[in-house]
Amino acid sequence: MTILLQLALFIGVSPFLSGLISKIKNNLRMRRGMSVFQPYYNLAKLFSKSEVISENASWIFKLTPFVVISSALTASLLVPVIIFSNPLVNAGDFLALIFILALGRFFLVLAGLDTASSFGGMGSSREMFISSLAEPALYLAVFAISLRFGSTSLVEISQMHTLSASLIVAASALFLVTLAETSRIPVDNQETHLELTMIHEAMVLEYSGKRLALIELSAYLKQMILFFLIAGIIFPIAPFGAVNFTQSFFWLAWFLARIFIIGLIVSVLEVSVAKMRLFRAADFLGFAFVLGIVAVICAILGV
Amino acid sequence: MQAIILFGVLISTYLMVIAKRSTSLIRAFRYQSFCLFLATLIIAFNEKQLDLYIVAGLLFVIKVLAIPRYLYRFLNKIKANEDLGLFINAQLSLLFALGFTYLAWVFARRLIVSDYALAAIVPAAAFFMVLIGIFLMIFRMTALAQIIGLLAAENGLFLLASTVSGGMPFFVEIAIFFDVFVSVIIMGFFIYRINKLFTHIDVNKLSRLRG
Repeated sequence: MTILLQLALFIGVSPFLSGLISKIKNNLRMRRGMSVFQPYYNLAKLFSKSEVISENASWIFKLTPFVVISSALTASLLVPVIIFSNPLVNAGDFLALIFILALGRFFLVLAGLDTASSFGGMGSSREMFISSLAEPALYLAVFAISLRFGSTSLVEISQMHTLSASLIVAASALFLVTLAETSRIPVDNQETHLELTMIHEAMVLEYSGKRLALIELSAYLKQMILFFLIAGIIFPIAPFGAVNFTQSFFWLAWFLARIFIIGLIVSVLEVSVAKMRLFRAADFLGFAFVLGIVAVICAILGV
Repeated sequence: MQAIILFGVLISTYLMVIAKRSTSLIRAFRYQSFCLFLATLIIAFNEKQLDLYIVAGLLFVIKVLAIPRYLYRFLNKIKANEDLGLFINAQLSLLFALGFTYLAWVFARRLIVSDYALAAIVPAAAFFMVLIGIFLMIFRMTALAQIIGLLAAENGLFLLASTVSGGMPFFVEIAIFFDVFVSVIIMGFFIYRINKLFTHIDVNKLSRLRG
């Protein structure tokens, strides 16, 4: 029951989060922008469409969307949102969460290479370039958080409410990594389909219809998971355990509010900075890496 | 709380190290000064001294507002190349900066004898800022980077003075601020002259004389 509730929460809210970010961005640029619910319409339209699959595509191409969506859904179950009588929360820790997300990315990269289109291969190689730089920083941030609390279990971490310097530095490293992983502006641009600059879009260019919808949904889910992790570090609150109706209402409101705050920060940042050249991304993620090291040092010092 | 602001200082100093263009270097300096302003404000609040409040206000006015604005305007005026000219590329500089962080920490631990490890954090951050200031002065080619490096080192000394001794005497502090501001203006004027004479501000090429 609680598992279903958590899944419903993630699937229901994550497209809205994406729509909200694009709405805020457009409003900041003095444009009207599309409706906040546009991602839902897109998903509904894509699910009802038939799809075209290249005749040279192998089973990897056909299987990948299901692997990607199941990895995203599994990851969203491991996050401690509702731990009240939830059997799955102790199934995996912080590292398992990252590895499960990495599995989805691995298959996505294979699928990009699979149909042998030039864009797919380019997108895959760029994605591996970015993620090979992003992952060390991500792991260092996670190590810092784990050292701070003496545990890699997300549930245990979420039950200790503290805020300290090492956590803030780790959260800022995590934030930079999140910008890269969710293909936000300094690294990639979600809004454009200009062939030469795209990374994520280039990989999934061959997909259409239902499979594209699955991949888009899993991208929304991944974004929400990462935002939730950052929000959980910066604004620590206990995971849901209340039974009272009003309590759970307030809990839900605060849960959504802090994720939206992170979304607001991301969208303001996206409007105010310019996209980097691809090879500047190494500098950007190198900075995240150094922040991760600083976070680990601080955690060892005990601040 | 103070530790968090100190890490703001640390991050902005790292930003200075990876900056490749003059404007981003000045912006990073502005962030650093702003973090320093907050730290001073907290010290003033803890020690409840009116002097320190005034010093914090001066810090904000001079180092956050006046000097960066002056340098921006100045850059516009001389229309110099935006490129800072890195002897060591940004990635390697970051590694150097990490090494300096460790060095500063070890040095501060030796200097401040205390069982309480956190007591050494503020001096460590101050030494780190001084080291990075000198690093910027050595390994960046343009004269602007040397001004900023000097200012960053001065920021570090200010932090050290205001935490270790609870602030220097008030008039000394004001005199130092005045000195810094005047020296920035004079250095700016020098750069202006150099730029006019040599049509660039690359310090590396200045050893060759032009008759």
